[in-house]
Amino acid sequence: MIKVFFYLMAFITLASALVVAAGKNLVRSLFMFFVTLFGLAGLYVLALADFVAVTQIVIYVGGILVLILFAFMLSGKEALNKVSVQADGFISLKNAPALLLAGLFLVIMFNVVFKAQADNLPWVQAAISNQNIMPVNGTGINHIGVNLMTRYLLPFEVISILLMLALVGAAHLSRKPKEDEV
Amino acid sequence: MELIDLLIKIALIIVIFVISLVVAMYSTYAERKIAAFFQDRVGPNRAGPWGILQPLADGGKMFLKEEIIPTNATGFLFIVGPSLAILTACIGSAVIPWGQNLEIGGRVIPLQVTDINVGILYIFGVVSLGVYGIMIGGWASNNKYSLLGAIRAASQNISYEISMGLSIIALLMVTGTLSLGEIAKQQHGFWADGYFSWNVFKQPLGFLLFIVCAFAETNRSPFDLPECETELVGGYHTEYSSMKLGFYLFAEYINMFISSAVMATLYFGGYNFPFMDLIHSPNLVAILGVVALFIKIFMFIFFFMWVRWTLPRFRYDQLMDLGWKTLIPLAIANIVLTGIFMTFFK
Repeated sequence: MIKVFFYLMAFITLASALVVAAGKNLVRSLFMFFVTLFGLAGLYVLALADFVAVTQIVIYVGGILVLILFAFMLSGKEALNKVSVQADGFISLKNAPALLLAGLFLVIMFNVVFKAQADNLPWVQAAISNQNIMPVNGTGINHIGVNLMTRYLLPFEVISILLMLALVGAAHLSRKPKEDEV
Repeated sequence: MELIDLLIKIALIIVIFVISLVVAMYSTYAERKIAAFFQDRVGPNRAGPWGILQPLADGGKMFLKEEIIPTNATGFLFIVGPSLAILTACIGSAVIPWGQNLEIGGRVIPLQVTDINVGILYIFGVVSLGVYGIMIGGWASNNKYSLLGAIRAASQNISYEISMGLSIIALLMVTGTLSLGEIAKQQHGFWADGYFSWNVFKQPLGFLLFIVCAFAETNRSPFDLPECETELVGGYHTEYSSMKLGFYLFAEYINMFISSAVMATLYFGGYNFPFMDLIHSPNLVAILGVVALFIKIFMFIFFFMWVRWTLPRFRYDQLMDLGWKTLIPLAIANIVLTGIFMTFFK
């Protein structure tokens, strides 16, 4: 039963992601991205990570995708059509660097997946032998909160500084030019 | 899960679905009657006694009207818009605890579809999805008024989501859980340990912020800028006709019902009522609890309507000023104050 759900979700995610990457119509890509994010959220739920799933929906679907849609609405239809004309063919010489990067990444991923042997990872074995596992109805939120504020405090703060840099940058970009600069 | 449990769950889902639709249907009637009362008129009184069949007549009218899809509209998205609006309005009810557990023939029946441990975040996610119906519909109509309405709705929703989230954070600090069932349980009765047990008395400022944001998120007056008819014809649904328009209007009333239920659960004790410990039959308490919850919900719905027919609409820059320069600082101050209070007085 769960396997069926997993393969269904995985198929939806991958198929819609393919449309996002290969589709020529920007609007259609955007709405397929919507589907991709929901598929991913479903996969998170199957991995017992409810919190990650809901957070992903709130942040990506409710925030970032809305902002992208916003940019679409504010740009005219002609501008959008121009973009979709430029994109010629999924596999072409112009896309060669991207293809190369993606291919290399794929090779690395395959390498890792085949070498790691997920069933015999030492930390997974240790967790199982220590009974350090999460029950189906358990909540991981307390652990997430405590760990974020203790063990992972430095990365947490570094990310917040990164976000603030982005905020300052956005404020600078949207600033009106001064009178004498014009 | 046993088959009978599954059947009970399905029955519960259907009952909740029907109740939210019926409540939304009669909210339109109530809105017209209340508006009439505020304006010293009679209101609808022709269809049936006191006009109580008016919503049915309206529904029939909506279904039978001619359906117009503009030539230049994006056909598929034009239909997706209202469908998404009504879908996101309906799925919020899944995590609301409607009452205590019923016990029938030795079987415990929880009056909550699912008590997921991230209940509040789920509600928050549904709220953030709510804007999609409006945005997609407004964009697909290919009409400048619709587009302006959609842009207004989107920026309004994003802005007020922030202060809504921040006001919930202060509540979470008090309750220490994200599960709505648990939060309702914590507010048992009315008076506990020498203080009121309902969260509104522990988080008065948080509640005020939350209810203002709820008005903005449901696009109700005084924040109904997306459908401001003096500036935008009809706003995001200018091009819509027939039942697709009906879905948009209906989604607003369902949203109102669900957000009233959320407010009642988070801040006003949910299904708890004063002196509930004096009644010894658990089933009677559960049933009275459901009644109490619905009374609270109806009071909130009345409050929504009361405000709509009392206050004038904001200007758009005033709306943004209120959201970013007043509510967000207040919400952050509320979090800090809650933290200080919890550190030194508990």
